[in-house]
Amino acid sequence: MSSETTTVRQTVSDFLVRVKKGRDDLPDDLALFGDGLALDSLEAAELSVVLEDTYGRDPFSAGGDLPQTVGDVLAFYEAATTP
Amino acid sequence: MIELLRAAAEEAPHRVALASAAGVTTYAELVARAETAAAELRARGVRRLAVLDPDHATVWALLAACSLAQVESCVYPVAATEETVAELRERLDHDLLATTRELPGPGLLCPDELWAGAEREDGPVPDGPRPLLVLTSGTTSGRPQAARHDWSRILRVALRIRPTPEQRWLLAYAPNQFAGLQMLLHVAAARATLAAGRSFQPRDGLEAMRRFGVTHASGTPTFWRFLLAELRTDGEPPPPLEQVTLGGEAVPSAVVEALRATFSRARISQLYAATEMGLSISVRDGEVGLPLSVLDETDGEAELRILDGELWVRSRSSMLGYYGDEPVPDDGWRATGDLVEVVGDRIHFRGRATEVINVGGVKVHPLPIEERVARVPGVALAHAHGRPNALVGQVVALDVVLGGGADADAVDAAIREEFAGDPPAHRPRSITFVESIDTHGGKLLRGRTS
Repeated sequence: MSSETTTVRQTVSDFLVRVKKGRDDLPDDLALFGDGLALDSLEAAELSVVLEDTYGRDPFSAGGDLPQTVGDVLAFYEAATTP
Repeated sequence: MIELLRAAAEEAPHRVALASAAGVTTYAELVARAETAAAELRARGVRRLAVLDPDHATVWALLAACSLAQVESCVYPVAATEETVAELRERLDHDLLATTRELPGPGLLCPDELWAGAEREDGPVPDGPRPLLVLTSGTTSGRPQAARHDWSRILRVALRIRPTPEQRWLLAYAPNQFAGLQMLLHVAAARATLAAGRSFQPRDGLEAMRRFGVTHASGTPTFWRFLLAELRTDGEPPPPLEQVTLGGEAVPSAVVEALRATFSRARISQLYAATEMGLSISVRDGEVGLPLSVLDETDGEAELRILDGELWVRSRSSMLGYYGDEPVPDDGWRATGDLVEVVGDRIHFRGRATEVINVGGVKVHPLPIEERVARVPGVALAHAHGRPNALVGQVVALDVVLGGGADADAVDAAIREEFAGDPPAHRPRSITFVESIDTHGGKLLRGRTS
């Protein structure tokens, strides 16, 4: 696991605590919506704001498919840092 | 304008009309300059004149001269860059600009030339059109428009003001703004004294209040917020104001309460005005918003009504149209762009039509949010705006200036807690702590997104 992944996972975890959806662990296959974290559209929007402010870009605004899982969010930043 | 100055000068020629760091100007001096300049403008065949000068006495005298010589005047903002001046002159067809600034191009006239002559136009004020242009603030569009007015309409209300020569008013608005013009008119009609600071910044306003013994002051809520902040840091007693007036923006109740606590002897009033209206409506009950009864008032000068949540106005002093546009009916109803809501027996302002934040189709007004954020301990100033977002179009975003010593994390948490029970679209989703928030003409810069 890269340090970048750890950092992004912590950012997501901090955000979830703030919106009162904190979890002890955030496995990669945990769904962001539906039965997973059950983020509504505005919470997802807020997460995108947090990620953009922290890392300068975010997977929700990148123009591709919306991330569906925690792993999709991490993969977006991993891909960005992979040479 | 000239008739007001003449009346004041006739009563007390040596009374100070304007006091500033540059010195004092009496009413007799203003009238002498205005009448000499009017004769010179007529002699030169000038019909339209732009004015750009940092000296308020010069601007005041030139406005009066133009009102006497039937020359259409237009005051430019002193802070305008060379490019802005060139753009305004091109767009408004101003061939002649009275200014002491060194600017490129032809058609420049030093104001001193206008009062160097021997002739004075000391006859009665002529009948017929006496036009003037007043620039809008341009905070919404980013580019000021020029509202066409006539002195005979603008002066309707000022001519009814009773003399109160003991009053000393602070000039907290630039004379190119409608509110600044209103201040010149009010002080001249009241035959009172105007005091100007080195700039229109609250710090300089506070300094001028103390230096010139200001008794009355009118400014935007933003101006007063910053002035209160200056007072807190300098530790000096507040000036003994008798009148505190707020206008130009929606008035948050927290600001009214803070002003009442600070200036305990002062009467607190609110002005509702717009460049296009040509007059202001004053509310003196110290409560936020306008009383609902203003909708029933028909004093012949202005009427208000609410249509689809927006305030509309019909005024006998209203503008005749924007320069370059078709004339508008002089007795027609006009949308103000101010969104309002009736709460009990008050009309509360919710923001400008152009400032509404669209969160996934839900319209959110920024002003009530700002007002609540301003009450959160540790917040000195807040600006709510729409932040573009790929998922929902916009989210509510806040720029927040912290009060002295406040902890950003604690304030962030307190703001989020304040809105936790609100509908999801109304909750701030982005909070940024900033050193300062931009203002323009004493108002928060609005209509932007980040």
